[in-house]
Amino acid sequence: MFDKVEAFYRPANVREALRLLSSGKGQAQVVAGGTDVVVEGDRSVRFLIDITRAGLSYIRHRGAACVIGATTTMAELETSDVIQALAGGLLSRAARTCGSALIRNLATLGGNMANGSPAADMATPLLVLDAAVVMVDSNGRHKLPLAEYLAAARASRYAKALLVEVVIPEPPRGKGCQWSFQKLGRTAVDISLVNVSAGLQLDSRGRVKWARIALGSVSPAPMRASGAEQRMAGRILDQALLAEIGAEVAREVSPISDARASAEYRREICSVLTRRALEECAAPAGCSL
Amino acid sequence: MRGSRGVFAMKNMELHLTVNGVPLNWSIAPGELLLDVLRRQGYFGVKRGCEKGECGACAVLLDGKPINSCLMFAAQAEGRRILTIEGVAIGGKLDPLQEAFLDHGAVQCGFCTSGMVISGKALLDRCPDPSEDQAREALAGHLCRCTGYLKPVEAILAAASKKKHRARRVKPVAEVAR
Repeated sequence: MFDKVEAFYRPANVREALRLLSSGKGQAQVVAGGTDVVVEGDRSVRFLIDITRAGLSYIRHRGAACVIGATTTMAELETSDVIQALAGGLLSRAARTCGSALIRNLATLGGNMANGSPAADMATPLLVLDAAVVMVDSNGRHKLPLAEYLAAARASRYAKALLVEVVIPEPPRGKGCQWSFQKLGRTAVDISLVNVSAGLQLDSRGRVKWARIALGSVSPAPMRASGAEQRMAGRILDQALLAEIGAEVAREVSPISDARASAEYRREICSVLTRRALEECAAPAGCSL
Repeated sequence: MRGSRGVFAMKNMELHLTVNGVPLNWSIAPGELLLDVLRRQGYFGVKRGCEKGECGACAVLLDGKPINSCLMFAAQAEGRRILTIEGVAIGGKLDPLQEAFLDHGAVQCGFCTSGMVISGKALLDRCPDPSEDQAREALAGHLCRCTGYLKPVEAILAAASKKKHRARRVKPVAEVAR
């Protein structure tokens, strides 16, 4: 029970939602699936604004890009034909690991990003896909890279704006690109201790043409391992390179120790999951690793 | 509104929804959770467990899909269809899945049972012949501290096969032998 709440609004469009948000003067909370807001939310809020009826539940193509409305649920991402066909179904596979089926019927993609958790399961696959988010505020629409958004999501820098859409550009290297999502949690419904996504394209001689590695739950926000990505460029993907990349990734992350895992353990797991992700990406190319 | 009806009236709002096939119109506080409202209205089969979306005891179907009622604001159920465990048996006759839970001893203290039946029913409605993996996936998010998970999984699979055999009007071999 949020017993300070005086009014619950269900705006029918984004404009109305924004108007309510600004008239709430910092005492309004936007809610969609509720799976984070209800559990961790500030119970002193006076207004709740439910955006699940604001026309933000959609998955569609826009030109070569794929756009996903903020209130699209994890269950919808899991089963959507468009998402299953995108980047080898990377986002569908990641969505399937978010909590239980009960939670996935409520939890939304926008909420997973806006909550700003370093462990957000959808963040690393979106980072390797070079995704952007579209924010709307009283000044209009702004598109910004997801990495930039995530870095500030918890600092309530976007308190007066709504995340309305996630934009995924056409996977840059077409069919030759392979993708992997790796997650380590204690149980089927656990939050990630570490999650890793990778995208990889090899040329005909097995050299790395393009690579993306992103890690979750091991830094203040989900992050790209840019150093590791750069080290891979143009090199043959063999066991030696995998070991080197595993070690580099472990250097780049800054995990903390908490009730669920120690920093040392998380660092080790970063190397292991990154190797597994790259091996999975390389397997279809018949790369003998 | 504040002047004419006082602070309490200002805070309450109307909620129109359908529960177990019955259209209803309730007065709720805007910050109330669906779980709290359902229990206040007498749907005690919807259990209050962890209140964090981890145990599944409060599961209900929302427009046919299982959700945790502890994670949803009641006001979000406006215009939606809810099915609670009270609405699973029809006219006093248990659903085949409920029968299967009894037959397989998938019930001990019973606290988790209504949630598990709700998720099991949602699975069978969507997928009449699930694999064991699918049954286990449907039950992930339901915690049981007494009988465990094997029997509920068996019950779901048995209910599926019973339905299938009934449709074919053939009795399963095991049942004939018994």
